[in-house]
Amino acid sequence: MDQLINPQNLEITNQQLAILVPYLVMLIGGMAALLTGVFIKGPTKNLATCGVSLITVFAAIYSVTAIWGEPSVYLFNNMMIGDYFSSLFNIVLLVVAAIVLLGSHSYLEKQDIHHSEYYSLVIFSTLGMMLLASSLDLITLFISLEIMSIAVYVLVGFRRTDIKSNEAAIKYFILGSVASAIMLFGVALFYGATATMNISQLANLMKSPESSAILFANPLFALGSILLLVGFLFKVATVPFHMWMPDVYEGAPTSITNFMTTGLKAAAFAAFLRVFIAMGLSTKIDTAFSVGFHNVLWIIAVLTMFIGNVIALTQTNIKRMLAYSSIAHSGYILVGFIVGGKSEYGYSSVVMYLMAYVIMNLGAFTIVSLLSDKGDRNSELIDLSGLGFKHPLLGFAMTVFMFSMAGVPPTVGFAGKYLIFSSAVEAGEIPLAIAAVLCSAMSAYYYLRVIVYMYMKDPIKEVRVPFNLAVSAVIIITTLGTLSFGLAPSVLIHAAKKAVNL
Amino acid sequence: MEFVSSHLISLTVFLPAVFAVLLLFCPSKTEEQQSLIKGLALGFSIVVFLVSLMLYTGFDAAATGFQFVEKRNWIPTFGISYTVGIDGISLLLIVLTTFLTPIVILGSWNAVEDKLKPFLFLILFLETGMLGAFVALDIFLFYTFWEAMLIPMYLLIGVWGGKERIYASMKFFVFTLAGSLIMLVAIFYLMGAHKAQFGNYSASLEDLYKVKIAFDGFYSPQTLLFLAFALAFAIKVPMFPLHTWLPDAHVQAPTAGSVILAGVLLKLGGYGFIRFAFPLFPQALHLLAPAFLILAVIAIVYGAWVAMVQPDIKKLVAYSSVSHMGFVVLGLFSLNSISVTGSIYQMLNHGISTGGLFLIVGMLYERRHTREISEFGGITKIMPMFAILFMIVTLSSIALPGTNGFVGEFLILLGAFQNNKWIAALAGTGVIFGAIYMLWMFQRVMFGPVKNEANKGLKDLSFREMIVMAPIIVAIFVMGIFPNIFLSKIDVSVKAFLNQTRI
Repeated sequence: MDQLINPQNLEITNQQLAILVPYLVMLIGGMAALLTGVFIKGPTKNLATCGVSLITVFAAIYSVTAIWGEPSVYLFNNMMIGDYFSSLFNIVLLVVAAIVLLGSHSYLEKQDIHHSEYYSLVIFSTLGMMLLASSLDLITLFISLEIMSIAVYVLVGFRRTDIKSNEAAIKYFILGSVASAIMLFGVALFYGATATMNISQLANLMKSPESSAILFANPLFALGSILLLVGFLFKVATVPFHMWMPDVYEGAPTSITNFMTTGLKAAAFAAFLRVFIAMGLSTKIDTAFSVGFHNVLWIIAVLTMFIGNVIALTQTNIKRMLAYSSIAHSGYILVGFIVGGKSEYGYSSVVMYLMAYVIMNLGAFTIVSLLSDKGDRNSELIDLSGLGFKHPLLGFAMTVFMFSMAGVPPTVGFAGKYLIFSSAVEAGEIPLAIAAVLCSAMSAYYYLRVIVYMYMKDPIKEVRVPFNLAVSAVIIITTLGTLSFGLAPSVLIHAAKKAVNL
Repeated sequence: MEFVSSHLISLTVFLPAVFAVLLLFCPSKTEEQQSLIKGLALGFSIVVFLVSLMLYTGFDAAATGFQFVEKRNWIPTFGISYTVGIDGISLLLIVLTTFLTPIVILGSWNAVEDKLKPFLFLILFLETGMLGAFVALDIFLFYTFWEAMLIPMYLLIGVWGGKERIYASMKFFVFTLAGSLIMLVAIFYLMGAHKAQFGNYSASLEDLYKVKIAFDGFYSPQTLLFLAFALAFAIKVPMFPLHTWLPDAHVQAPTAGSVILAGVLLKLGGYGFIRFAFPLFPQALHLLAPAFLILAVIAIVYGAWVAMVQPDIKKLVAYSSVSHMGFVVLGLFSLNSISVTGSIYQMLNHGISTGGLFLIVGMLYERRHTREISEFGGITKIMPMFAILFMIVTLSSIALPGTNGFVGEFLILLGAFQNNKWIAALAGTGVIFGAIYMLWMFQRVMFGPVKNEANKGLKDLSFREMIVMAPIIVAIFVMGIFPNIFLSKIDVSVKAFLNQTRI
């Protein structure tokens, strides 16, 4: 690896270009979506933009599958990488974008907030997420994080006339910027300690006992990694950096909440995972620094699972409930981080759980956005009363998602939990595993409450469920995904295992 | 035919689920269509019963090991496979399950009018879950069925239950889930231990039996693992002091739910001890057996005492379950062939007689919409046929010689006596208390003058209700008079089981 930037490194080979295609497709598609909104006038404007953005996403999915399984390629002087990890996450993120876009059109129409800019913002934000998953340099990582976040700040406040949405956007923007600043400061200190921004070089440094010993003794390194950690933990919303999340999730349009809980979370965790694996902290358990780091993460994980679930227990609004439960899910994923290097499927369990969580959460939120009326009314639990028998298929789908989130077999949620908890036990973290399963048992209570309202209470008012082909397709696909990957999780497990083999 | 005979277990297990799905496509708008659906469900469940009889007749009682074994890879990365097979113990429990399901469907013929189709769907689906748990020889497969079974039961209680149904169903679900998740951690530990000792993951029970888990006193992995498994099973049985969900669940559940819950679901707790907890951790078993014996005796006596003072018939029967299942646990932990045989037999008896009692209570409730003992009195004069059947089931529950209950309790007490005189003597008092609370309840409900005006016009049993009770009455006497028909099937399995539990 050449450290200096020489002109040769700036040339792009065909192989590298192939890796870049999905990103370029997204970039061009995002701009095209923006322009479509400018040039096409009249009632077809939004539909056309939606179409352009969907075509973009599907083209990008196709171009990712075209380079599927190719050997790793380094890009731009090792600032970016195209490997199995990034391909897998790109697919996940693009699927998220596709599903969110499919569900958005009818939702925005209903909410009376349909503006064509929405679509290009989603595309640009997805591009940021994809770049985040393939960054091999802390600077690229930071920039992609910002590309992703800035678009999402706008999207959160998309319901311009609604005070809750405005509050959410401002809150998210201010807190997000502070977190970005903290993270950037961490990166700077990191650079001071290691003299490199590159994640693979960092991995090399940490591998050798001598250089890692020097780094561990360096307070700059310690402070830098803690600040970096805080930045990531803020983005994925773990306790105690979760305060922003329920308000933002509730205030944002439901389709965007869907986008954030799945895409944003998956991307942030992907980048976090790449850095974390490079630092190899959970494999080295002998130094004071890594022991301290482990303990901090341990406490954060347990608190996240516990507090997320406890607060979710008391929620009466479905969006808020799913938001708090999303905090709890971050906690389970952190368990995977903690045990990562110490068991065979440790890091794979993180990827696996993210995929499982994305599938079931997409489905659940799509249903919530289908039900919500103008101004996001009808998103209280009580509005679900009697829905299960009135709309049997919808009720069945929601039941599947709730049981999957609660981790009941044979659903993909159980497969994900299985991998995480079994890795925890294998790594000898039995108290952590027990804490996790108990929190998971607690979570069953509020997930089941959704089912209680759907099937065990009589309808209170007429909730109109409009039929929409795209939304129905999304719900059917996610339901089938939740069940089939639950019955046959091998595909996902293998993919996850291969991805973390960095 | 070749295919059928080589996949007989899978066929038995999954037929109900397939039928359940078929049922969903039938129309259920008019009354006629509703009866058609009910008839179909009944027919389906009888077909499943007949298929399970093929298992029964094809089963070789003299052979050791599991029979009808099927094995397919499922998640090879973790050594998880679809492995099913039966021995004598699971055979009898399977037949019990398939026997009770048609009875339950016929028994709730008129009880469920609202949301009929989902109701029948869930009953059939539940049957698949229970059968699957009885035949699974892969611990992961077992866990999957064990958990999947929770969902239909939860919905049965929650949707078709009584006034407090939501509270009861929630309590049922969270109690059971908490127990099973702790067991899940233990399962992970076990699979990890297999990997450490043999180099590969495996969830197959056969492989896991070979794993050696360190044991040196109470704070050792083996004891803790045993406790983790025992917690899940003890909640299901339920053992004192983890029984508090049971009265709530039973009282709120619809009749069909109560019958299945008492008849089959509780047995899964006992079956879990036999198949998993005991053979996997024999040393821990011997260390902890005294504690469990004491808990079992407490459950027997305490359950009986609490049953005695219940004003509600269904609650009385629910607490009697705690007492009866205490006998099962007592027999299992006494660890000799007589007591274990008795326990398994008692599981079947309890399924039949308590199932019968719940049906009887359901029939009363359908007529009067109350279950308060004080509301009744002198029913014998009004409903003579009902009185006879109720008496027979009551006597079976009391364990009168000649009925099935006697054989089970006698064997358990005989075996327990060889193990520990005092424990057996204390448990013996439970039989006496059992007679007291059942007969006292029977007296208050059935005898004396007819005080309550509302009871005067009650109709005696209909033809359908007699058909519902007939198989149960027959089973009570057949099992009481010719116990060997069934005991001969489990002899070999019990011996093998006791061998496994030896240190």
